[in-house]
Amino acid sequence: MTDVTPPDSVVLRTGTLSWLFPRRSARAAAFLVPLAAVLICCGVLASSTGMSLSQTVSGLLGTGDPGTVMIVQEFRLPRVLVGLMVGAALGVSGCLTQTLAGNRLATPDLVGVNEGATAAVVASVAGSATGMVGDWWLGPLGAVAAAAVVVLCAGGAGAAGYRVLVVGIGVSTFLGAVSDLIMSRENDNTAGGVFLWAVGSLNGRDGGVGVPLSLALLFLLPLALAVGHRLQLLRFDDDMAASLGVDLRRVRAAALAVAVALAGLAVGVGGPIAFVALAAPVLAQRLAGPTRVPVIGSALAGAALIAAADALGRVIAPVELPVGVVTSVLGGPFLLWVLFRTERTTGKA
Amino acid sequence: MWKVQEIRGRTTGSRNVRHPSPEARRASWAAAGLVVVFLGLALLSLLIGTGNSSPARAWGYLTGDPAARADTQLRLALLDVRLPRTLAAVLVGVCLGTSGCLLQAATRNPLAETGLLGVNSGAAFAVVLGLTFFGVTSSAALLVWALVGGMAASAVVLLLAASGRAAGSPLRLVLAGSALGATFHGLTAYVLLGTQSTFDTYRYWTIGSLAGVEISDLLPLLPLAAAGLLAALGCARPLSALGLGDDSARSLGHHPGRIRLVVAGAVSLLVGCAVAVAGPIAFLGLLAPYAARAVAGARMAVQLALSALIAADIMLLADILARVVIRPWETPVSVLLAFVGGPLLIWIARSSRLSTAGASA
Repeated sequence: MTDVTPPDSVVLRTGTLSWLFPRRSARAAAFLVPLAAVLICCGVLASSTGMSLSQTVSGLLGTGDPGTVMIVQEFRLPRVLVGLMVGAALGVSGCLTQTLAGNRLATPDLVGVNEGATAAVVASVAGSATGMVGDWWLGPLGAVAAAAVVVLCAGGAGAAGYRVLVVGIGVSTFLGAVSDLIMSRENDNTAGGVFLWAVGSLNGRDGGVGVPLSLALLFLLPLALAVGHRLQLLRFDDDMAASLGVDLRRVRAAALAVAVALAGLAVGVGGPIAFVALAAPVLAQRLAGPTRVPVIGSALAGAALIAAADALGRVIAPVELPVGVVTSVLGGPFLLWVLFRTERTTGKA
Repeated sequence: MWKVQEIRGRTTGSRNVRHPSPEARRASWAAAGLVVVFLGLALLSLLIGTGNSSPARAWGYLTGDPAARADTQLRLALLDVRLPRTLAAVLVGVCLGTSGCLLQAATRNPLAETGLLGVNSGAAFAVVLGLTFFGVTSSAALLVWALVGGMAASAVVLLLAASGRAAGSPLRLVLAGSALGATFHGLTAYVLLGTQSTFDTYRYWTIGSLAGVEISDLLPLLPLAAAGLLAALGCARPLSALGLGDDSARSLGHHPGRIRLVVAGAVSLLVGCAVAVAGPIAFLGLLAPYAARAVAGARMAVQLALSALIAADIMLLADILARVVIRPWETPVSVLLAFVGGPLLIWIARSSRLSTAGASA
């Protein structure tokens, strides 16, 4: 039997089981995992309270004084972990929608998740007597509801992933107008509160959100991985895919469903954090090479972006900056730098 | 999936040079219909308004009824309030429709919208800066800030997209635009979070309205818009060639990178004018070309004209509705635009005959 391993991959075999590792993505992942670990440490260390390095470490290990231990273990660490999860969810979601549409601009918010979540949150503010933003799960609920409306209006996710996006833009704009209309009737304090949420912030996000979020990700990420593998066949037309034994309509529908669920969760927890769903897959693609659907890379890049932005937001200015502000202010130039630098070394656009 | 459709669309589009194809006939009927709708809406926009100048009396003024002509209040309502508003709606519509169509063709990306060049977010940032640090309050001054900010932002995007080895590639333009757009957006949020008073003014600027526009605000914008439109017209033929792919365009003697630069310049002029008048409205620049493509097929010049007409019609309709839906108050025009345009976009995307047309750009 001849060796049929693709030239850019390594195969691990144990008996009848085998696992194909594309070298380039594996290298990228090997680089990103320690980066994420470093970022977790930075995120835990970064403080707006002026806690020293040794204090933080002792707090992390549970050996310091009870106050420090509580701050580090119950507020900061969960927040960093939530940030990582939100980033991973956004990155993977963006990766799936971009691959689905074959379009770099196709981010999950085009399917209505951002505006759906915002509308739900705005409605909760308008409905409450105190003018407070309601429970966090309203966000995902609104996001998923909006996406369901989009898919229904588009007449199914099957053949025309593109049509879903256009309908999504229509529905998003409509929902955004509804939110605007409600907000223009609210007083300025309420509007300011909603604006803070709508910029995207991880402030006060801790264990209460973390457990349901991590459970959902445990379920969704393997699904995304499986779907992303199938999506590589999108390069061929439907007939070719069918002859390879894949129902592309079903794969597209599944990819869209997973993308919406992931983005809905992320938006519900962190607010509509800008730019990560667009940038993470682009960065991951740079690392993984053009022929793969970089699901894992996007998750890691998204997590890294958010973790770094959240940590920076807490130390960079005298007041704490919401993570959405940092991702968009610094993420833009960072993306450009990565694109232009790799172009110079490889000569490709 | 789309590649196959694209090729099919092109072959049908380039056949039938001598005989009018069904596509061409459909486009001319659509254009005629849109012009009639446009004239009707422009007339309605002059007749309908808040206040006690009824449509019947306004009609009397327009037809030269001496009693109505003598009424100075009516004259004020018509010439100083409704006429500038109507012109503003037409200007904004034509600018956004044309520029959206140009940008989608040049980037070969049907999801590209006019905010992509950073004009909207640059204008918003400049407005916020003006409000916060320079004490700008009058709407005419805000208009200038918005225009300058939008132009500056798009200049940066253009410089970035045009530098380096892959100068002018569509992907580069798209990514540079969205990256810098996001940056300006974030900076705006950063300033806004710190200053409550600015936030309140900004909140109303950003949802946009044509109320209170004066002729003197519009006049300085006209040369800019005209320059943008002329450039757009000049781009129609090269853009058609670009639709065949960069290599084919090059073999026909065009320079893809240069075309994209000119297009991006024209788009920033046009969108700059629109943003200055009506605030950042990104949606119309996406909707109008999509609808135009569904009707016009592959020909660029027809697409441009239809896109401008459709956008002007929608803008006029939205502005008329803005005056009447919650009388005697005004609804922000962008909100009505979304209420009119959202369902329209969904309807076009759903309609099976038209659904593939959007992908063939």
